[in-house]
Amino acid sequence: MSNAPGSPPLLSTAAMAVELTGITKRFGAFIANDGIDLAVRRGEIHAIIGENGAGKTTLMNILFGLLQPDEGSIRLNGEATVVADPAAAIKAGLGMVHQHFKLVPSLSVADNVFLGMEVRRHGLIDHAAQIARTQELSKRFGLHVDATERVGLLSVGIEQRIEILKVLVRGARTIILDEPTAVLTPQESRELFQTLRSFVAEGMTVIFISHHLEEVMEVSDTVTVLRNGRKVATRPTSELNKDELVRMMVGREVSFDRRPRAALHGDIVLDVKDLWARDDRRLPAVRGASFAVRSGEVVGIAGVAGNGQTELAEVLSGLRPASHGAAWLKGQDLTTLSPAAIRQAGLAHVPGDRMVRGVDRNASIAANTLMGRQHRAPWSQNGVLDWKAIAQNAGALIKSFDIRAQGAGDAVKRLSGGNIQKVVLAREFTNGADFLLIDQPTRGVDIGAQEAIHDEIMRQRAAGQAILLISVQLDELAALADRILVMFNGRIMGEVAGDDADEDRIGMMMAGVSQQLEPA
Amino acid sequence: MEILDKLINVALIAATLRTTAPILLVALGGSFTTKAGIFNIGLEGQMLAGAFFAVIGSIWTGSAFAGVACGVAAALAFALAFAVLVVTFRANEVVVGLALNILAGGTTISLMKAIFGTRGSIVGHGIVGLPKVQIPGAQALLGSWAPLISGFTPIVYIAFIAVPLLVLFYKRTQLGLYIRVVGEKPEAAEALGISITRVRYIASLLCGLLAGLAGAHLSLGYITMFTENMSSGRGFMAVAILIFSNGDPLKVLAGCLLFGFADAFSLRLQTFGFPSYLVLTVPYVVALTALFALSYRARPKVIRETLASMQKLLSVDRNSAPVDKNPQ
Repeated sequence: MSNAPGSPPLLSTAAMAVELTGITKRFGAFIANDGIDLAVRRGEIHAIIGENGAGKTTLMNILFGLLQPDEGSIRLNGEATVVADPAAAIKAGLGMVHQHFKLVPSLSVADNVFLGMEVRRHGLIDHAAQIARTQELSKRFGLHVDATERVGLLSVGIEQRIEILKVLVRGARTIILDEPTAVLTPQESRELFQTLRSFVAEGMTVIFISHHLEEVMEVSDTVTVLRNGRKVATRPTSELNKDELVRMMVGREVSFDRRPRAALHGDIVLDVKDLWARDDRRLPAVRGASFAVRSGEVVGIAGVAGNGQTELAEVLSGLRPASHGAAWLKGQDLTTLSPAAIRQAGLAHVPGDRMVRGVDRNASIAANTLMGRQHRAPWSQNGVLDWKAIAQNAGALIKSFDIRAQGAGDAVKRLSGGNIQKVVLAREFTNGADFLLIDQPTRGVDIGAQEAIHDEIMRQRAAGQAILLISVQLDELAALADRILVMFNGRIMGEVAGDDADEDRIGMMMAGVSQQLEPA
Repeated sequence: MEILDKLINVALIAATLRTTAPILLVALGGSFTTKAGIFNIGLEGQMLAGAFFAVIGSIWTGSAFAGVACGVAAALAFALAFAVLVVTFRANEVVVGLALNILAGGTTISLMKAIFGTRGSIVGHGIVGLPKVQIPGAQALLGSWAPLISGFTPIVYIAFIAVPLLVLFYKRTQLGLYIRVVGEKPEAAEALGISITRVRYIASLLCGLLAGLAGAHLSLGYITMFTENMSSGRGFMAVAILIFSNGDPLKVLAGCLLFGFADAFSLRLQTFGFPSYLVLTVPYVVALTALFALSYRARPKVIRETLASMQKLLSVDRNSAPVDKNPQ
């Protein structure tokens, strides 16, 4: 801000509402944003798209003052600005609707909208004035909501409208929405898009974070794609198609470093029939999935993150109830069993989020290799743990799985991501299970460990295990899978044989274009 | 019929209002902390300190009102200590509350010994009790029903007037609103720049103020004396009422009236020769049963969380837990 006090204010003719230059943000060794440039024209709907972990939210948190960049600068409406905190951002005319709503359930809609800036008369809160102003704004922008209703009684979709109203009441001219449609039904999403268009019609600017291609194509004027903390491109939406977007999001360099294999397919181990499940918002996340996995076969599940893969894995491991259908593991219907009973029936599970469901990060390697079998010999005798045997067993696993650690007593949190994952594999792959459910085995794992993990999966295949491999990395699936199923929006869009995995065809299916398979 | 008439009459209702007042005040005080999201188990100690220092103040100054001020100041000191430990240093609320309760009990006993050289109780020594307010014209207006509105100490009136004031406070004032927000959704308060620490301090001190008044009512109201552990669990009853009412003033009033009525009724029963130990349990049993029956379904957060964490502890081995298949 170079203008001296008293000098005439710069005419705000800048065409750009937001300009970010060279934004870099590191969290320890991890680079969340790596030199990102972003220019958002005034009066446009600008979508920022990328996979989970691509750096979208970090970038927007920097813009809104929730995080400070390590490098780079911000210009708002043509003026260089330091956004020290959200209050400064709000003052500069920015507003942000977060993914997680911060509303008070017992208060009315109007009270929530005006919380922190109450309209007061004679020292008391003027509820009538607040209600009137809320209703006026809600009418003007098509954000239908009853201002007197208690928030606790309302649906998530309406809660989001209230968050938008909060931003409007504070005078925002540029509105950032972080994954706004993640919590909405399709109907609500369409209504939201209309509201966003009405903002633009009034000269406001909208920045819209998403990883859903269709809605980005539908509503945005310009798209910026982020991948692994870097900007891939900024392009007018009209010049793009979904297939191109997918490739920009997931990366086009798919290496076909395919593992050699012998055909081994045996009997069907897992048989999934018309399986449906709901996500945490009670919306259908898995819609009628049917497939089978045979022993000695790796079946891959591909898809842009958030298309029902997580929910599918959770249903198969007993962590989420199925709403319909069945999944037979060697004749037992998994959907009726508890997680422990499913493991008893022959499941080994390498969970997608290893720090939450894979290990106890504060416990030792030995204790982590023990989990789930602590009541069995040789780990325990007559109901008493045999720590000597446990440590011996863990020592053997450390050797055979090449876990880089000081010893079995090491706390798991001291290991690198790849070695933590090897601890999980060591436990899960030595349980004598016939069916291995492996979710994102190499997420956040260095290349060396990736190779080792892939080797181990192939060894399990050779030993005749049935393997379901869920991954967002196409090259991983192309290297390992015998067949690749592509999930989109909870459905299995089609199947590709691993031997002729074709980036274009998989990409089309990941974007929701159904592929009719010719019988081979 | 004659017995029933003797049991239930105007005097009983007046007695109910009198016995309700202290627990109502302390519970309304606790309503501030409950709404602000603090589980304040230290009400009992604040009340006891209020009762003791009200007596001391009354003896020193010869004025009942100066005595009340002393009692309130002592309760505020306890409330401040509670806030410093719980809000600033984030100590466990239950541990701090219990510790302060024990401290209050011990301090009053030691000071009694040091100052008066006695144990058990302080009687006489020139304690000045609170005057009773005679409302002019009450007799003419209500005849034999006059004791229902006239002849109470000022603190009783304060207690009952505080109920509608608190309703207004939570609904129409910024501070009241912020106290609710801080308790219900601290993230929301933080995001809007409301200082959680400040709001919780204010709530704790408001709580101390009313708890101190309640204590002063115990020792300077209808009997002018202090006895060891004179609050006799009223602070804990208030905590129970708060849990079940979630701190809503009207529900607090209802719970306290129930307790006050049972208390007054049990006193009445004693005169009929029922064994006194049994009779003294009546108010607690009645109030707890009724509260539990009333609000078992609408269990508030504190209880829900306690139950949930207990369940978590108990169900480490959930191997046998069946997974329900969710119908559409």
